[in-house]
Amino acid sequence: MEQTKVNAPDAPSAPVSSHTQVAAARAVSKEVAIRSNGTGVFYNTDQQALHDVSLTFHKGEVAALIGPSGCGKSTFLRCLNLMNLEIPHCRIVGSIDYHGVDIVNEKINLFDVRTSIGMVFQQPNPFRKSIYDNVALALTRHGMAANSTNLDDQVEEALRAAVLWDEVKDDLKKSAWALSGGQQQRLCIARTLALHPDVLLMDEPCSALDPIATRAIEDTARRIADTGICVIIVTHNMQQAARVSDTTSFFYLGEMVETGPTERIFTAPEDERLQAYISGQFG
Amino acid sequence: MANTATPQPAPRLIDPDAVVAHVEKARRQSKAATVILTAIAGAICVLLAAILVYIISAGASKAFDPAFLTSPPQQFKEGGGIGPELFNSFYLLVLTLVISIPLSLGAAIFLVEYAPDNWVTRAVKTAIEVLSSLPSIVVGLFGFLLFVLQMSWGFSIISGALALTMFNIPILLRVIQQALEAVPTDQRDAGLALGMTRWETTVHILLPCAMPAIITGVILSAGRVFGEAAALIYTAGQSAPALDFTSFDLTNPACPWNIWRPAETLAVHIWKINSEGVVPDLTAVSDGTAAVLVICILAFNLIARFAGRRLSKKLTAE
Repeated sequence: MEQTKVNAPDAPSAPVSSHTQVAAARAVSKEVAIRSNGTGVFYNTDQQALHDVSLTFHKGEVAALIGPSGCGKSTFLRCLNLMNLEIPHCRIVGSIDYHGVDIVNEKINLFDVRTSIGMVFQQPNPFRKSIYDNVALALTRHGMAANSTNLDDQVEEALRAAVLWDEVKDDLKKSAWALSGGQQQRLCIARTLALHPDVLLMDEPCSALDPIATRAIEDTARRIADTGICVIIVTHNMQQAARVSDTTSFFYLGEMVETGPTERIFTAPEDERLQAYISGQFG
Repeated sequence: MANTATPQPAPRLIDPDAVVAHVEKARRQSKAATVILTAIAGAICVLLAAILVYIISAGASKAFDPAFLTSPPQQFKEGGGIGPELFNSFYLLVLTLVISIPLSLGAAIFLVEYAPDNWVTRAVKTAIEVLSSLPSIVVGLFGFLLFVLQMSWGFSIISGALALTMFNIPILLRVIQQALEAVPTDQRDAGLALGMTRWETTVHILLPCAMPAIITGVILSAGRVFGEAAALIYTAGQSAPALDFTSFDLTNPACPWNIWRPAETLAVHIWKINSEGVVPDLTAVSDGTAAVLVICILAFNLIARFAGRRLSKKLTAE
């Protein structure tokens, strides 16, 4: 196996510094939202799907994870909220530092972690309930609403944050399954935002959507990041990464090959695999 | 290259006539299949409708007679009714469902959501499939040995209800299991990713999604339970003590709610009067009982379906 480690020259701090530059350039917080350290994933004890990924993500930035199918970018994303633990015989190695806690190795409350690290999936998957209940369900289950008026307010706030309120405010009692694909995806974003996460993971959120709906999701992702949330978006679409993200990390064959400010990644890629990927030689 | 004088005709890769012939053939086949399938479906509908109309019209004179529906059966004279049998059928059905729905719901949730995928789980699933095709007379004889003799409960409603539960659980379990498995995985993921526990996800997301299918399954199994005779002949017995609806003494055999009394149901009554009945009007009584049985199942289906639709509408906002 090829052992080029492009992000290694000035060792572990390399990804950190590149992200930090961008964060500084956009004059947003330099506060680290979540940091992975040598994170890897094993299936069935011997199949390693992900090798040694060390990345740092900051609040208020949009970070894109790109790479061809099966490169491990979604697997990595699913480590960050420990959704991989739901897969039988799946094991996460290394560490993930979140608010000073190693969520991989320390005994943590899985449900609290997932409340503050939200996730949006590839296929829009609203619950088979009304639009209102889609947002209200988790709020109620986590006891986050003091009373019904407060719940109404929080639902409205979440739908506004996902830029969906104006389209659905008169139909809150209607089934979420009757919405269009793009609206459904924004509803899924809204129900996640309702829990006030500080990290939002998006797993190819636009791959089932048309270009206009895609644009709406991208704008929403940008707005969400501007409110100080760290948005991590997996995409196989390089144009999308270039449009929305501040930093980009390229994954290939289960490894994180190169990471840096998005502009640099696309204009001056260092690793030849990334160069080949960007120039469309494989995908 | 450039000096080719005679333009060559384009090679005919596709023969237009063959394409037309092929399309026409496909259309003919499709049309023929439609006709045959419609005919088969129509024949089945006509057959079922004919059976229904025959049963109901044969028993109509009795089935809509309030005296027949309320009075107790006669041993030797004509003019007996099916009052206790009618009540017993519903009572047994309700008891059976009260016992079997929670058990099979819990077991199905465990098997689908919690059980690890190993040989124990697979063995249990296979066992359920085998049990769901167990002949009901076997269930009845097993109930006779265990509940009637071993537990010394005698021919009683409780013996009958437990035998019916054994007969009903595998069917219900499979239906609920399939309904839960049919809920897309992404609904589960969505619940878990919002920080909800597996139990919250199951109760608040998966069950509402699966509810229409579960209700349909419950209705179908209830219909089978309601019309079951073989499993009851040896467990709930073939005698129907006259019921006194003013009695709430649970030890009194005339008390309708007493679960220790023998209880003949409609289906068992049909079997009994046809095999050993000596009343002069046994054909009329038998036809009337059959009509009442069919009408009850029909009504039960319609009501349950209506209620199911209302419930599912409320749960899913559709």
